[in-house]
Formats: sequence, C-alpha cells, structure tokens
Amino acid sequence: MDITIIAETQGDNLHPVTNQLVGAATSLGASPTILCAGGAGADTAAGIAGVGKVLSVIGDCFSTFDGGAWAAAFDAAAGTGVIIGAASAQGRDVAARIAARRGIPVVQDVVAISQGLTMTHPIYSGKAMQEVTVGDDCVVTLRSNTFPPAGDGGNAESATVQQSGDVKIAVQEAIAKASARLDVSDADIIISGGRGMGSPDNFEHLYALSDKLGAAVGASRAAVDTWDEIPHSMQVGQTGKTVNPSLYIAVGISGAIQHLAGMRTSKYIVAINKDPEAPIFKVADYGIVSTWEEALPILGDEIAKIL
Amino acid sequence: MVYEALDFYDLDSQLTDEEIMVRDMVRDWVEDEVLPKIEKACSDGVFPDEWRVALGEMGVLGAPLEGYGCPGLSYVAYGVICRELERGDSGLRSFASVQGSLAMYPIWDFGSEEQKNKYLPKMATGDLIGCFGLTEPDYGSNPGDMITKAEDKGDHYLLNGAKMWITNGTNSDLAVVWAKLDGVIRGFIVETGDEGYSAPEMTGKHSLKASVTSELVFQDCKIPKDRILPGVEGLKGPFSCLNNARYGISWGVIGAAQACFNSAREYSLSRIQFDHPIAAYQLVQNKLAWMLREITKGQLLALELGRKKDNGSWIPEHISLAKMNNVDIALQIAREARDIHGANGILDEYCIMRHMANLESVKTYEGTHDIHNLIIGRHITGIQSFTRSI
Amino acid sequence: MVEIAVLLKQVPDTNAKIVVVNGRVDESAIASWVTSPYDEYAFEAALQHIEAAGGSITAITLGPARADKVLKDAAALGVTKLVRIWQDDWQDLDSNQVQAALANAVTAAGVDLVYCGKQSADRNQGSTGPGIAEILGAACVSEVSESDSAGSYLRPTASGSERVTVSSPAVVTFTKTQNELRRPNVRGIMMAKRAQIEVVGGDVSASQVNFNGHSSPAQKPPGKTYEGSESVPEVVGLLRDEAKVL
Ligand SMILES: Cc1cc2nc3c(=O)[nH]c(=O)nc-3n(C[C@H](O)[C@H](O)[C@H](O)COP(=O)(O)OP(=O)(O)OC[C@H]3O[C@@H](n4cnc5c(N)ncnc54)[C@H](O)[C@@H]3O)c2cc1C
Ligand SMILES: Cc1cc2nc3c(=O)[nH]c(=O)nc-3n(C[C@H](O)[C@H](O)[C@H](O)COP(=O)(O)OP(=O)(O)OC[C@H]3O[C@@H](n4cnc5c(N)ncnc54)[C@H](O)[C@@H]3O)c2cc1C
Repeated sequence: MDITIIAETQGDNLHPVTNQLVGAATSLGASPTILCAGGAGADTAAGIAGVGKVLSVIGDCFSTFDGGAWAAAFDAAAGTGVIIGAASAQGRDVAARIAARRGIPVVQDVVAISQGLTMTHPIYSGKAMQEVTVGDDCVVTLRSNTFPPAGDGGNAESATVQQSGDVKIAVQEAIAKASARLDVSDADIIISGGRGMGSPDNFEHLYALSDKLGAAVGASRAAVDTWDEIPHSMQVGQTGKTVNPSLYIAVGISGAIQHLAGMRTSKYIVAINKDPEAPIFKVADYGIVSTWEEALPILGDEIAKIL
Repeated sequence: MVYEALDFYDLDSQLTDEEIMVRDMVRDWVEDEVLPKIEKACSDGVFPDEWRVALGEMGVLGAPLEGYGCPGLSYVAYGVICRELERGDSGLRSFASVQGSLAMYPIWDFGSEEQKNKYLPKMATGDLIGCFGLTEPDYGSNPGDMITKAEDKGDHYLLNGAKMWITNGTNSDLAVVWAKLDGVIRGFIVETGDEGYSAPEMTGKHSLKASVTSELVFQDCKIPKDRILPGVEGLKGPFSCLNNARYGISWGVIGAAQACFNSAREYSLSRIQFDHPIAAYQLVQNKLAWMLREITKGQLLALELGRKKDNGSWIPEHISLAKMNNVDIALQIAREARDIHGANGILDEYCIMRHMANLESVKTYEGTHDIHNLIIGRHITGIQSFTRSI
Repeated sequence: MVEIAVLLKQVPDTNAKIVVVNGRVDESAIASWVTSPYDEYAFEAALQHIEAAGGSITAITLGPARADKVLKDAAALGVTKLVRIWQDDWQDLDSNQVQAALANAVTAAGVDLVYCGKQSADRNQGSTGPGIAEILGAACVSEVSESDSAGSYLRPTASGSERVTVSSPAVVTFTKTQNELRRPNVRGIMMAKRAQIEVVGGDVSASQVNFNGHSSPAQKPPGKTYEGSESVPEVVGLLRDEAKVL
C-alpha cells in the first residue's frame, strides 16, 4: 500500500506526533513517504524507523498557513494512495482540502486503522464510535497519542521538490500564547484544588501544571470560601460551575456530594488526596493516595516527558 | 447541571413550533439571568430592574393580547411563559401576571382607543409598569364591599380610600384602580405623580420577597375625566382580569413544582445515608412518585385549560379548579421536597424553601384556595355559600 | 455590504444520551435537537458582521424536515433567506457529498463569505468548511475564535494565535468565541412562523465510504486507587494509553 504522510510541524521542527503517524503507516505494512512543509523537520523525519522517503516540499506558500495553498502543493507532490496527517487544526484543514481536490474520501480523527482500509473514529464527542471502510485512495487524519510511535534509527533517503499554491490569507499579527487563564467551563482538562492545598499560594503549583496541559484551574467551595485569592468563578460544584471535561484532576479535595455534583460526569477523574478514606476516591478512575507536595512535582515531570 | 423539566407524558410535544421557541427563549433567560441572581434579589427584597427590561425586550408582557404593540400569542404560549418564569421564581411570574393580565388586559378590553394607544405599546415593552388595585385592608375575598370611592367633580374625578397588597405598586407608572362611583364598581387609571396619590412599599414579607408589594393611598386624589375605563361596570371588570391571571398561575406553579421535583430527585440520588442513596428507599421513592403523579395531572389540567382559553370554551369555574389544584399540589410538592433535602432543604443554596414560601402567597392571592372551592361548590349545587346570616 | 452564507447543522442536544442499537446510533431516542454549538458562534459572528457592515445572511442547512427548526431559529433572529437541502432518498451522506451539496447552495446564494462551525457536534469531522472552500476555490480560515467586520480573524497557531485577513470569497470556520449568543424575542419568533424555507435537492455522486456500523465506546475500567506518589508515573501512563486523555 502506498502511504504518504504529511509531517506535523511545530515551527521549524517536527512535532512528535509524526512518529505516531509513521507507526500507524508501518503497522499497515507500508514504508511511507513523508512530506515536510518547507522542509521543516526533514532531517528528523529521515531518522524515524520505517520511513521510506522524505520529501521536502519547498515553496513560497509555506511561510504562512493557508490550507488551500498547502493542499495544492502537497497534492502535487504526493503520489496516489493513502495520505495520512495528524488530526490537528491545520492537519484536518489540509486533509479535507486534498480529499476535495482529488475527489476521494476523507476520514478525520481516526483512532483505529486496519487493512482494507477500515477505520474507527469517535462521533458525538466520543459518546459513540463509527467504523467505515474506504478504498486505497483516501485521506486520513489520526488522533494524537493513539498510535504507538515509530522509533528512531531510520535512515531514509531525502529529496526536495518545488511546489507551491496561491496564498490568500495574510497574517496581520502573531500573538504569543495567551497568558489569560482558561475558564473551567471551557476547558477540556481541569485541575482543581481544595482546602487540602493549605494556602492560596500553593495554587501556583496547579497553575504551573495547567500551563503545561492547557488546562483550567478550578477549586472546591471550601477553597473559595476560605481564601479571597480564589474567586467564585473557579468554584466547581452544585453552587459553582458544572463541568464536563475529558480529564478532571482533584487535588486536596475530599469529594463532598456538592462538589461531585459539578464534576462527576467528567470523562476521567484523577484524585490526589492523602486520606485513603476520602470519598473522592469512590468516583476517581485513578486515585493516588499521597500528599500533593509529593505527588505534584512528579506529575509535572511525567507530563512534561510525554507532551 | 442541565435542567430537565419533568414532562412525563411529553406534553410539550403538543406545543407548536413557535410555542417551543418561546419556551426555550424564556427558559434560557431564566437559567442564565434569573437563577444566578434570585437569592440575592430575595435577600435584598428587590425586583431587579434589569428583569423588567429583559421581559420587555423578549416581548412576553401581555402575551395573549393582540394589537397595540402586544405580542398576540396563544393562551397556551402565555401559560408556557408563566411556567418558565415561575420555575425561576413566583415573584418574577407575579410581575409578568400583574403587568399583562391585571394592568394591560383591562385597558385592552375596557379602555378607550386613546387609553389603549397611550399605555399599551409602552407597557408591552416594559417601559411603563402597571399595577392592579382591588384588595383593601378590610376587603380581601369579598372585594364587592370595597370602600374606595370615586366622585364625579365635573371636570375631574376625586378618589378616596386605600388599597393593600398591591404587587408592583411602588414600582409602577400607572395603577388600574377599582373604586365605587355612585355605588358601582368602575376602573380608573391613576398615574404616578397624580395629586393625592402615593404607593408606599410594604415590608417584612417572608414570601415573594423578590416582588414588590405596596399600599396604594388616595387622599383627595384628582384624576382627569378621561382616566375612567369606559367599557365595564361592576365586579365583572376586576374578575375578567383575575380570570386571565389565575389561568397563568395554573401553569406557573407547575414550573415551581418542576423545579422542586428536579432538585429533590437530584438530591435523593446523591445523598447517601445508611450506605445507599436515599433515592433507593421506598419511602423516598413514594414521595417522588407522588410528585410526578401530581405534576403530570396538573400539567394536563393546565394544557387543556389553555386549549379552552384559546377556543373560547372555558368557564370561570374551569379556571378556579386549575388554579386551586395546581397551587395546592405545587405547595405540597415544595414541602415534600424540603423534607427530602433534610437540613439542606432550608438553605438558600437550594430553591426549595423559597418556592415553598412563595407558594404560600400564591395560594392566597387571586382568590384563596377555599374561595375557589366555594366557586366550584356553587357551580355544583347552584347555592352560593360565600356569605350567610348568622 | 457583505453577503454571508451561514451553514447550520441540526444535531442531537449535546447533553443527550447516545445509544447504539443494532450497530447504529438510535436517533429516534433523541428527544431534543439543536443547532450545532460551533455553528451558533458562526451565526452570531455573521449577525455582528452584517450589523456593522450592512448586507444580509443566507442560512443554509442540510437535513430532513426536522432541520427546519434551525432555520426557524435563525429566522427568529432576523434572517429571511432560508435554504434547506434535502432529498428523500438521501441517507447518510459522506463528507464529499455533504460538501458538494452545500457548495451548490452556497454558489446559488451568491455570497462573499461562508461562516460555519469548525466541526459538527455529531460527526466531529471538521471537513466541511475546508472542503467547501476547496470546491469553491476559496480560502478557508479555520477554528476562528474572534472576528470583526473589517474581515480580520483570530486563529490558533502552534505557538499561540494570529490575526489574519483573507481575500473573499472565503470560508471561515468558528470555534467558541467570546460573543454572547443572542436570544430571540417574541416578535422574531412570530416572524419566523411566517418565514419561507426554500427546499432544494441536488445531485450528489455515489458515496465512496462504506459505513460498517456504530458502536459504544469501550467501557472504562473500574476506578482504581494507587498508593503513594511513586505511582504517579504509572497513572500518567494510563492516562495516556488507557484513558487517552493526554
Ligand atoms: C448547599 C451546599 C452547596 C455546596 N456547594 C458546593 C460547591 O458548589 N462546590 C464545592 O466544592 N463544595 C460545595 N459545598 C461544600 C461541600 O459540602 C464541601 O464542604 C466542600 O466541597 C469541601 O471542600 P474540600 O474538599 O476542598 O475541603 P475538605 O472537605 O476540607 O477536604 C480537604 C481534603 O484535602 C485533603 N488533604 C489535606 N491536606 C492534603 C495534602 N497535603 N495533600 C493531599 N490532600 C490533602 C484531606 O484529606 C481532605 O480530604 C456545598 C455545601 C452545601 C451545604
Ligand atoms: C404577595 C401578595 C400580592 C398580592 N397582590 C395583589 C394585587 O396586586 N392586587 C390586589 O388587588 N390584591 C393583591 N393581593 C391580595 C390578595 O388578592 C388577597 O390577599 C386575597 O384576595 C385574600 O384576601 P385576604 O388576604 O384579605 O384574606 P381574607 O379574605 O381575609 O381570607 C382569610 C381566610 O378566610 C377564608 N375565607 C374568606 N371568606 C370565606 C368564606 N366565605 N368562606 C370560607 N372561607 C373564607 C379565606 O379562604 C382565607 O383562608 C396580594 C396578596 C399577596 C399576599
């Protein structure tokens, strides 16, 4: 099977999800060609195990992201067969456009793929899964952290092609990552602190972690009531906000029903509490019996390793 | 938590598209703007002015009236609006009932063309607020014996007397006041600022705290001749208004009952005593089942009455039955819900105690529970038993 | 003056329980259908855009008769041009078919801009906006969280965000914005009652996607408690590999 991978880049570097795309491609028995936009990350890509070829696509269009222009360039550079990208904002945009250009199917956000080509992707925000089969000419984007990454140690041949497309989007202003804190109602990951944090200053540990995860910081009512520094807008629970994130991390929160009322429908709940009897452990998918002082630094390190 | 209004028989599926849209509009507004602020409004004893503005903007005031800038919705839609408002608070629904059914309606039905044009469009937008003065300190259930009187002074009327328990009184721009002119009950429009008229607020209420209740005082109050409602004489005037307001109440209190049921259900599922959620115990389930049963019956009563209002086949006794029954069950449901919530039920963190206290007023105003029994009793027997010589 | 087409999709209420019966999501069990939330932000952005710049909106949906509701809701906020695309023999259209049908309606509407959600709340694919842009030969700015009537859009980048402009015609897909969604009022609702919805069919080519079935997501394992901070690495591993939330 012919598979072309569109490398996911981060500035001039390769995003680690690219290894996962290669991992999925090799599991289908392919030795994929990787396209690198503007040559970004081409050297690293050549070192991924199992890669057949790295093609740096060089063109003016790659200085700005314009899905239309990029799709035109990649379309011209890629052979027929399966095209795989990452299910990121840019990855999906380009994937949909290449499929529309070629008149071939596109399946986004795939979490399982097998010969045939049969794929599964979540629908209804993960409340159900859909399985489809498409022919060998298609575009697919894969959800990150779902497929085992290919390792290093490859030594693929590299080449360069000139391809570009019309850029119709102009960047007026680049804005560094907003330092403004996410609101708990908008976040997909929430880290909440309770009275067990001991003092409002200790919430800094939660903020540091939330920055790494792109998470919002929430609080129990005991924390909000006790410390002026913790505003009511952070309160989760019956008299605070009802949240429904993919991951809720409760730190130093006992798990009173009024707190649970606001977060029990979270997809996954992690609790860090020093008291093994704390009711929060009854709803936690992963409970860690530990003081936060011991657990949070390790949590920070481990998360830094995988993101 | 997402609010799911109890609707066991899926009766809302009988609503038209536009009735559903109106429901969702009001429900969303109550959810976003009223519920977060209602406890503060109650403890401060104020009706937030922004709610007046929002009701006007949504265009729900005087819902079933047509023309003169009024919405012209069905009576069913009006009922749905009352239900969604009262799910927030009976005080909020009271504001809308008084404005629409008690102040706008008599002008719309009995007013002169000039009066309608002058007041109704601005009342529909909430720019002018009205109140309804019938009850007096000494005459509640028997308003027919009212003392407030009007005298024809040639180029003006002179009003003397006092009204009590008047919703929106202090906040209002105009009052529809019922007074006797030559022994006959007539309606008059008194404007704030009229000479000899004042509307001091009554304080100390334990119920309907977010609603303004006032006295209306007329001391040689002079009003122009064109302020009398030309179209009606006798008790028929105030009673036609009350029919509409009572109809709205029969829907409204279902909203309060739904809110109490919802809270009781949630609470009983999450409250664990003796190792299990209290919802797992038969005594609690019995209470919940009873609430569902009564709410469902009340919903049917209100919906069918709405259809009758819309097709004109209603009689006042139909309204008495629905008002009496639905307020009664809503109040009992609030009390049972309070019980299920245990100590938490008395806190202002839950809506229960507030609805319960509110519903005590609702049971009394617009004809007390027993007065409605007497109305139905008269209908059954042909014998009035409101008064008898001892 | 600007002419904007807004694409509104009707989806099950995002709080609805999704049940799979005989390998298919049971749509008949869904009590409440709503406009897909990101589409609502797109719509609000369009309303603000024409308020500031003048012009008009065409609201377009693709779906069976029940989807009229999303157009009525749009009509209640003042939109008068309402188009529903459907043919009774259509079942599950694939992404290419949806794009083709919508692109036809957009072309017929003759607009400068197409505003839609970054993805629908049911299929979660995110192919529609960019796909239509490709068919129309237009640019597409994706996942916009802020827009103004001067035609500048804020979109995410790996290192933060950037404000961009785009030459029209263009497609803009919206994520959640800071805009408060407006409520209709009774006057609008009464207008919506009279609103005319144009129903159009269309030719779509055969589907290239074989639908095999729906399934419920894997049950999550029962909760587990781990002793001591030394268990943190294991838990993080599980969050990534088992829960797949990191
Ligand atoms: C009507 C009503 C409404 C309410 N609404 C809400 C609401 O919306 N939200 C809400 O949260 N609460 C609400 N509450 C309050 C609720 O009942 C609890 O009091 C509150 O959630 C407790 O907060 P907490 O878990 O932070 O504090 P605590 O219950 O005091 O728990 C602190 C926890 O921290 C742990 N701990 C202490 N030190 C450490 C350490 N160094 N490391 C790790 N763990 C440690 C302890 O073991 C303990 O379990 C409401 C209560 C009522 C009556
Ligand atoms: C918060 C609030 C707002 C109000 N808003 C307004 C308003 O906007 N405008 C307005 O005009 N009025 C308003 N009212 C007044 C309300 O309509 C009266 O309270 C009601 O009509 C009852 O009158 P009453 O309170 O004088 O009770 P009463 O008539 O004194 O009744 C007391 C008790 O005696 C019973 N009773 C009376 N007569 C009989 C009988 N014949 N047989 C058996 N039992 C009998 C009653 O059922 C009741 O249980 C409001 C009242 C409240 C509490």
